[in-house]
Amino acid sequence: MFEGIFTGFQVAFSLEGLVFVFIGALTGTLIGMIPGLGPITAIAVMIPITYGMDPAFAMLLMAGVYYGAAYGGAASSILLNAPGESMSVPTTFDGYPMAKQGKAGKALAIAAIASFVGGTISVVLLTLFAPFLARLALSFGPAEYFALMLMGLMMISSFSEGSTVKALISATLGFMIATIGIDLQTGTRRFTFGNANLLEGIDFLVIALGLFAMAEVSSLIFERRQSGNYTSKLGSLRLNGEEVKEMTGPTLRQSLVGFVIGVLPGAGGTIASFLSYITEKRISKRPHEFGKGSIAGLAAPEAANNGASTGSFVPLLSLGIPGSGTTAVMLGALIVLGVQPGPLLMNEHPEIFWGVIASMYIGNVILLILNLPLIPYLSRILKIPRPMLISLIIVFCVIGVYGIGFNTFDLYLLVFFGIIGYFMAYFRFPAAPMLLAFILGDLMEQSLRQALTISNGSLWIFVEKPIAFSLLLISFLTFIVPLIRNWRRKQLTKKLERNG
Amino acid sequence: MFKSANKKIAVFLAILAFSYIIASIRLPAYPYVPVDSDAVPISLGFILLILSILLFFVKDNHQRDKKLPKKEIAVILIALGFVLVYIMLFEIVGFVIATALFILTTSRFLGYRNWLSNVIVSISVPLVIYLLFTQFLKIQLPQGLLPF
Repeated sequence: MFEGIFTGFQVAFSLEGLVFVFIGALTGTLIGMIPGLGPITAIAVMIPITYGMDPAFAMLLMAGVYYGAAYGGAASSILLNAPGESMSVPTTFDGYPMAKQGKAGKALAIAAIASFVGGTISVVLLTLFAPFLARLALSFGPAEYFALMLMGLMMISSFSEGSTVKALISATLGFMIATIGIDLQTGTRRFTFGNANLLEGIDFLVIALGLFAMAEVSSLIFERRQSGNYTSKLGSLRLNGEEVKEMTGPTLRQSLVGFVIGVLPGAGGTIASFLSYITEKRISKRPHEFGKGSIAGLAAPEAANNGASTGSFVPLLSLGIPGSGTTAVMLGALIVLGVQPGPLLMNEHPEIFWGVIASMYIGNVILLILNLPLIPYLSRILKIPRPMLISLIIVFCVIGVYGIGFNTFDLYLLVFFGIIGYFMAYFRFPAAPMLLAFILGDLMEQSLRQALTISNGSLWIFVEKPIAFSLLLISFLTFIVPLIRNWRRKQLTKKLERNG
Repeated sequence: MFKSANKKIAVFLAILAFSYIIASIRLPAYPYVPVDSDAVPISLGFILLILSILLFFVKDNHQRDKKLPKKEIAVILIALGFVLVYIMLFEIVGFVIATALFILTTSRFLGYRNWLSNVIVSISVPLVIYLLFTQFLKIQLPQGLLPF
């Protein structure tokens, strides 16, 4: 293992490694700052740049974008009260009030330090935990893989905001889109409508950029007039001893919580940051300060969401299974580069496995440096006029998609999925389960059929194998438990109403 | 009958699921595998069918956002039109010219008033991207009418 870490640091500390981590972290921060644009868009827009790059360096770049976007999201939450995505919503609760009190600089400093601590604690745990899980996963057969992926999908659906039925519909549709193209086992053409462009299926970048970036662009269009009015006076970034003392406890606690939640499939940053905010408020000695500019209330969600962002790399790197929409895009990026993540990654491509992990130590330091002294300059990106920003984002989406197959058919598909993404957002269908199901779809179908080939068509294989069976049981429960709880709550309210 | 949005969407999804199942059943059979290529799609179709029935009976428990004013819908449709024209021109006139025109017109249409900086951005951004992609990243973008 130490040999692996050593290889990783060699990659990450090479000149190119440092440059790519820096570029990634910087772009991630900048894109993440723009309200409405989240990490999925940030990563997807950067993917075309990595075509033809060495996969190890490409991954360093993407990882930099990924956690850079998590840092950047805090800035727009604090300065504009406009979170880039749901995971930085709790940051606005206390960050924006602080900015209004003229303490924007302090708020940014607290967010940056809490993010740094969350990210760093999490990466240490990732270093210890990922290889262990990868070794365990080596014994997994197709039945276990299928069950594991199903569990990830079920969990992301039951954890997503709003109706679980809608989330499951999104996931099913995503899986259906994945079945388009030539079937790998039999060579049958499925749902191609005789169109040669669909033989290889739809590229994940089309879906990711369409469902997320293009749909986000349309909401930016509606809000195009709200640019530029942010507090440009940041005030001092310096924290005094008392403030540091107040943030220490919540930051350390919630970094750990964030990591654990991040490792769970389907959970991720949003749940981590909300949960951490609620728990800190509950255990705080001064809960009345929460929502009015509490330091603990700002530090907790930032530590937790960065902890979770890093934690979700555990299943991605060791099992090859993303637990969230964002890591699903990372998986897609890896596959584009010709790398299949999974338990074998650690042994077959130690430079990628350990390079990414090592780069996160450096990335967090770079981000702290970027975010503390440079934040007043970086936050100027918020001044770019919205109309210009909108057209530039569309151009980046178009370039990215064109680079996949060099034909305009994919571009029309991009627009098509942009429209679907827009309607999904309008009718409150979460898009992340669709993206995750689309990316896992192929693998899930292959492993299901392999498992059934082994068992000669008998479904008993999923019951006989203890790991597969317990994973399936968990996925079943994550779906059933909320339904029963809802139903019982309804019964209770009915009873209460009846009794007056 | 279809009062809420959920019910309309549910019916639409049920029709989709149904046609998907039909299309899956009609896939050619391949006799040498225990699980043929239609098994997963057929199951997915039925899952979607069940979910759409569930959706039909689920209440819309969130308040619908304020309806968008007609003018805003027009804005987004016209912007969509610009994107489609951009894609059509993409391979014909080439990346640089199509992109320059797209940025210029779309930014102006969405309310960017400063002509001078709009022109500067519209010309410099596509040129820089083009050179970056074709020279450094070795990814070809359509050259179109330009000589380089």
